Amino acid sequence: MTNTAAETPLSNLRSKHTATLEELDRYKLVVEAVEDYAIFMLDAKGYIQTWNKGAQKNKGYKPEEIIGKHFSIFYRKEDKDAKKPERELELATQIGRVEDEDWRVRKDGSEFWANVVITALRDEEGKLVGFAKVTRDLTERKKNEDTLRSNNAVLIKQQKDLQALNISKDEFISLASHQLRTPATAIKQLLGMATQGFLGEVEPRLLDIIQRAYEANERQIRIVDNLLRVALLDAGKVVLRKKSINLPEYLADIVTEHAGSIVKRNQVIELKISKSAPGFISIDADHLRMAIGNLIDNASKYSHEDSKIVLKASANKKDCVIAVRDAGVGIQPGEHQVLFTKFSRVQNELSDKVGGSGLGLYWVKRVVKMHGGKVDISSNKGPGSTFFIKLPLEEIRA
Amino acid sequence: MRKILVVEDEDLLRESYLTILSTEPYDVEVAKNGQEALEKCKKKVFDLILLDLMMPVLSGVSFLERFENTGATKIIILSNLSSGEDLEKALQLGAQENIVKASLSPRELLSKVRYEIMQ
Repeated sequence: MTNTAAETPLSNLRSKHTATLEELDRYKLVVEAVEDYAIFMLDAKGYIQTWNKGAQKNKGYKPEEIIGKHFSIFYRKEDKDAKKPERELELATQIGRVEDEDWRVRKDGSEFWANVVITALRDEEGKLVGFAKVTRDLTERKKNEDTLRSNNAVLIKQQKDLQALNISKDEFISLASHQLRTPATAIKQLLGMATQGFLGEVEPRLLDIIQRAYEANERQIRIVDNLLRVALLDAGKVVLRKKSINLPEYLADIVTEHAGSIVKRNQVIELKISKSAPGFISIDADHLRMAIGNLIDNASKYSHEDSKIVLKASANKKDCVIAVRDAGVGIQPGEHQVLFTKFSRVQNELSDKVGGSGLGLYWVKRVVKMHGGKVDISSNKGPGSTFFIKLPLEEIRA
Repeated sequence: MRKILVVEDEDLLRESYLTILSTEPYDVEVAKNGQEALEKCKKKVFDLILLDLMMPVLSGVSFLERFENTGATKIIILSNLSSGEDLEKALQLGAQENIVKASLSPRELLSKVRYEIMQ
């Protein structure tokens, strides 16, 4: 029964395509030899007629064990109970072809993820003679997809957790900074009252100690301020408020603001406005004032006494450039990038004396970036560094 | 004598400001929060109010919303905020400027007050 039934559709095909017998035999040989696909034929009722090498490999049955059996043997019990095999044949009969991806069962009872295509075969009169069934084992692909999907779910959850953690970190820093600043401010007033003569005469030795405590307190306030500022920035709570300013006047103000501390170190600061510099620019004056001030502070702190700091404004075709040049200890090129990362501090002969939070330059970089610009540095170990704030003219046109 | 009101919830700061400002011939009063400040303002017209923003009971902004200024009183915010919604609101409500209190030494505070009172 099996051979004749199996050959019926082929003989029909032969007449349809006027193929020679040898050609058909060659096709048969090819199909039988394919190992990666289970290719076999069913009669019109779903009984297995042929069995290729791929089918044997895929499902584990030898031809003599399976030919003549109903193809529902490959379906899981619940699918059989739900009459899935019959429904698939019906559908293939109606529309010519059915494709399905689902679990199927091997001879040994193990399950595999299969891609199944069932094609209805008809003779010249259009009468259904059976079905061609091609099955591929996609278990590996399915496993990979499932792993990907579950990894993806884990990643999404981790991302959410990280976001939540980041928010609570920012809130914590913000709250802690506010809380730390209040007593630090009170200490500043109390110590300041002693050093600035509001409490009458203070014994010189005691005054010296109080003066040092006052300076330490100022440093503490600066660090807390930086922490708070960076927390606000990282939390996206800093919004630029741009307005038009007169650049030469603006820079002169900044120089005046810092002159006191620079003179205290026996240093001088010089302002140079190049002819190329724009007269007016539109910027967030407060934030950039702090950024430029930060560079001036660094220039002064990392320079020895009797040295000069130059603040210079100029422009090239693209950018307005505000440069702060010092004759200080310098920074090795290898350390330039790390300078701008959070909590980074570069070691040099003055770094212990200076102290600092390692947040200043990170903040400068972020603020300048918010203006569409960038910060560059030109320095080597040895005297002198220049920091450049480059603001694209297009972004800051007043 | 010029009349100054310091509104500050932190005891140490309030006392410090009182000590510092009392070294000059000013009539200085202090209030712990916006509510106390409103009550003091009912009894006396101050030339200058140094006003903190974040305070319990009644905040600086709420004080400004309720305070009826005839124009005789100059108000300077003395807070630890350098920017933000509260500060902007306060400036809109008639405060003239903001001083970040952590940035001021006693001497700087005194010269700032002296300057504002003379204006």
